[in-house]
Amino acid sequence: MGGFISFLERRVLPVAGRIAEQKHLQAIRDGIILAMPLLIIGSLFLIIGFLPIPGYDEFMGGVFGEQWRTKLLYPVNATFDIMALIVSFGVSYRLAEKYKVDALSAGAISVASFLLATPNFTMFTPEGAAAAVQVGGVLPMMYLGSQGLFVAMLLAVISTEIYRKIIQKNIVFRMPDGVPPAVSRSFVALIPAFVVLLVVWLLRIVIENTSFESIHNIVSTVLAGPLNMLGGTLFGAIVAVLLVHLLWSVGIHGAAIVGGIMGPIWLTLMDQNRMVFQQNPNADLPNVITQQFFDLWIYAGGSGATLSLVILMLFRARSEQMKSIGRLSIGPGIFNINEPVTFGMPIVMNPLLVIPFVLAPITLVIISYLAMSFGLVAKPSGLAVPWTTPPIISGYLATGGKISGSVLQLVNFVVSLLIYYPFFRLWDRQKLQEEQGKAVTPSAAANNNNAVQL
Amino acid sequence: MNILLCCAAGMSTSLLVQRMEEAAREKGLEGRIWAVSADEVMNNLDQAQVLLLGPQVRYKLAELKKEGEARGIPVDVISPLDYGTLNGKNVLEFALRLKRN
Repeated sequence: MGGFISFLERRVLPVAGRIAEQKHLQAIRDGIILAMPLLIIGSLFLIIGFLPIPGYDEFMGGVFGEQWRTKLLYPVNATFDIMALIVSFGVSYRLAEKYKVDALSAGAISVASFLLATPNFTMFTPEGAAAAVQVGGVLPMMYLGSQGLFVAMLLAVISTEIYRKIIQKNIVFRMPDGVPPAVSRSFVALIPAFVVLLVVWLLRIVIENTSFESIHNIVSTVLAGPLNMLGGTLFGAIVAVLLVHLLWSVGIHGAAIVGGIMGPIWLTLMDQNRMVFQQNPNADLPNVITQQFFDLWIYAGGSGATLSLVILMLFRARSEQMKSIGRLSIGPGIFNINEPVTFGMPIVMNPLLVIPFVLAPITLVIISYLAMSFGLVAKPSGLAVPWTTPPIISGYLATGGKISGSVLQLVNFVVSLLIYYPFFRLWDRQKLQEEQGKAVTPSAAANNNNAVQL
Repeated sequence: MNILLCCAAGMSTSLLVQRMEEAAREKGLEGRIWAVSADEVMNNLDQAQVLLLGPQVRYKLAELKKEGEARGIPVDVISPLDYGTLNGKNVLEFALRLKRN
């Protein structure tokens, strides 16, 4: 196990670091973060719209009129349903920032190129008509939401790359001294913006003449569709969780790295559920794997499902060190933050504790996936419940108010407790022996050294 | 002295901020200590005199060190043990040492 950890440190760590530092992936990750607060606010309205209280619908209808829910969900249209638009701006802004070119201009150009790639008409079949007619003057909302996410990300990257290359090659209008900086900045953006829009415009014209008809259709057929399919499987989830925890084993924030790559996929899957849920909160939802599946059912207490381990330290530890880590960890642990456990206990670089740390979450993925697929437990409803929400509450909220979500969290807690228990006992005993001044075993000394040198 | 801390979401470093503030008060130090997420660090860097990274985002060190050097701001990774045990005093000392060198 020690050899394995050193293998991770030597081979996997540099690769993970390079992926994490890759400019475009980083910009995509940071750009998506821009949409998250909006999604959480949209979710709040969704929760209020679908409170699972008997007689609630009738009561609300009686007080606010028949259209109450449609009106209540207006903010959902302006949050969930425009996430691609926000991401288009956010990704480009963050990427431009890394290249040290004007981020605001880059963001504006990216939004323009995204809308240029999006059909500005929709097909509508009037009542009694035989064929659909084309209605102009609209932006189809479906492309501005999660369905347009990959197009938004791709065009943000492409347009910002063109933008910064032209700026950095100095092909810009230079204004004479004395022109206010804001004025000259707006001119600076002209040439690159023109080139970006020209490229996207040509792309659209060409694609409109193929059977794909729009950039959105190409991207969803070639890229988004297959990726979502893969990301939504049990196998995909196990691989992702395995990677997250192997990275954490050497003290790297695995969830930030893996989530950075999988984020757009899990977000799309989440929103597919949300759209069905919004039509009918009791419908069978299409996806088990969403962002919340991991955040709320697997990572209770933080990566590694360490809340149960913290409880063990708090109530079963005999060594002073473990007792103190338990006291230190319980507060943050309830809100799913566990750095005091991973670095303080430590789990990181600890050949003994890494075993349950990897094993527990993978077991939970399998249990949770099966329980949700077989309909024993409600699937995540697509509500963006923040990952810092304490377990039990979060499971109830994220399923749109279904007790089964909380019950599964409770089951997962017990399962992870059982997996951690023997390893916790061994480690606690070792620490106790150290404290009582008994001979320190060479392996324990080595562990401590590893942890400190990291 | 203004000390900026950064981790993935700015959550666990904010735990440490509290401990460091206590330690700074005991030493009678003035200044601001605050934690941000990885995506916000560039927007905060100019207000900092030292930047410390959580060990779990140490893969950002090379990039941020470059940014720090351009501004004359020392950048380094917090020791995992001090981080895990939320040892505000040690981390504050570490920040002061970095600034002095």
